[in-house]
Order: sequence, then structure tokens, then C-alpha cells
Amino acid sequence: MIITETSKGDIAILAPDGKLDHDSAPEIRQNRSIIDPDKMVVIDLEKVDFIDDSGLGAIICALRNKRNANGVTVLSGMNHRLRIIFEITNIHKLFNIFDDVAPTIEYLETRQIERT
Amino acid sequence: MSSIITLTLPGDILFARLASQTASSIARLLADDQQTETESCVFAHAFELAVTEAFTNSVTHAPENATSAMVTVTFLFEQPHLTVSISDANEPFTIETPAPDIESFPENGFGLLIIRKLMDRVIYRRDGEWNILSMSKSL
Repeated sequence: MIITETSKGDIAILAPDGKLDHDSAPEIRQNRSIIDPDKMVVIDLEKVDFIDDSGLGAIICALRNKRNANGVTVLSGMNHRLRIIFEITNIHKLFNIFDDVAPTIEYLETRQIERT
Repeated sequence: MSSIITLTLPGDILFARLASQTASSIARLLADDQQTETESCVFAHAFELAVTEAFTNSVTHAPENATSAMVTVTFLFEQPHLTVSISDANEPFTIETPAPDIESFPENGFGLLIIRKLMDRVIYRRDGEWNILSMSKSL
């Protein structure tokens, strides 16, 4: 899996491309921005066309890491099929989910100002 | 008239994608003539994901020393139902497991829940030493 990473200040935007499954989930779990407690992370799922239990676990792992460090992980861009999987597992209740990256960054920048 | 296709694969996670993509292709082939493009994609995706979860469970629950374990994936099409059965020789299990407690941030355990939600019918049976998980959905 290819994960494109860009950053804006303390916000890292991770954009995985392809299937988020048993093969590729470790790449999310081990990503440096996910592990870095000072980073806020957007996981942009626009180019993810498939997610299974392992992929969902990696996304929750990212959330758990950030919460333990008082950080933030938000999701954006998921297609209809992915959204259904998040909803039937109730995982959507754990995250702030945005349709697009731009409003996601606005949201995080607002949070950043509130924290300083 | 019914059609049966059987794959016998090594019980290795490397073969999960082969099993799931075969499921997706078969589902898509059957659905394309009878459904809209969107419906056909949803039907194929449901089988791709269900087979991924079932195959992964078979592999991850195999005994550690079961280096020669095999997983059988059988596709049965009886209009209008497509049924996929995943068979392994692991310990017996139940499909009546509770959904993971989301508030505890679980990092696994969603597989059977996803299968139950995506398929019309899910049946588990034990046949001798074999677990057989059958998952059906109608066109």
C-alpha cells in the first residue's frame, strides 16, 4: 500500500491508497506521525476502496495512541461502502468524520488554537 | 441448475486476497446480468469482505503447529442465492459472539459482526473435524 503523507504545522495528513487489510494495516499502525504524540492526524480515506477487521483495528489503534497522548485523530473522505462498514460496527461513533480534507484541517486548526 | 466452484488453499494469510478476490469476481459475474452497476458492486464487495473475514479467522485460529493446514472455499450458486462456505479443521467455534464493546477501543473482533451484517444468512456447522461456515446472499 502507498501512504502519501503531507503536513501542515503539527497536522499530519495520511492518505493511504488501496486496500486497508491484514497486509497493509501494519503500515498505519507503525507510521511515525501516528506514534508521534505531538502530531494531530488526519487519515484521508478517499483512495481506500476496501477495509476489513485488520484495517479497522489499525484506525482504532491510531485513535487510541492519540487519546493516550491527549492528541487527535480524525477521518475524512470515506466512500459510501466504507462508511457502511464503519456504521455497522459502530466505529463511526468514536471519530469525527469529515467529507473532505479541507474542513478537517480547519477543524484541527481551531482545536490547535484552543489548546495554545 | 446449480454451479459449484471449490478452491483449496494453504492456511496462510497470504492467500486471503486470492480467496476474497475470487469471491468478488464470482459475485460480480453473477450480478452483472441482473443488477444495476451499483447493486452489482455492493453485492461483490459484500462477498469480498465476508470471505476476507472468514478466511482470516480460519488462518488466525489455526493451531500453531498446523503448518500443513488447508482452508477450503466453496462457491455454490443456486439462483438467486450465492453461498460461500469456508471450511477448516480448527477447534469448533460459535458465530453467536457479542459485538465488540466499542467504548473499549477494540482493535479486532469485528469479523463475524461484519459477516452477519453483510450476508442474508450465516450458518455454522461442525462436520466431523471440520468447521463449515456458510454465508449466503441473494441477488
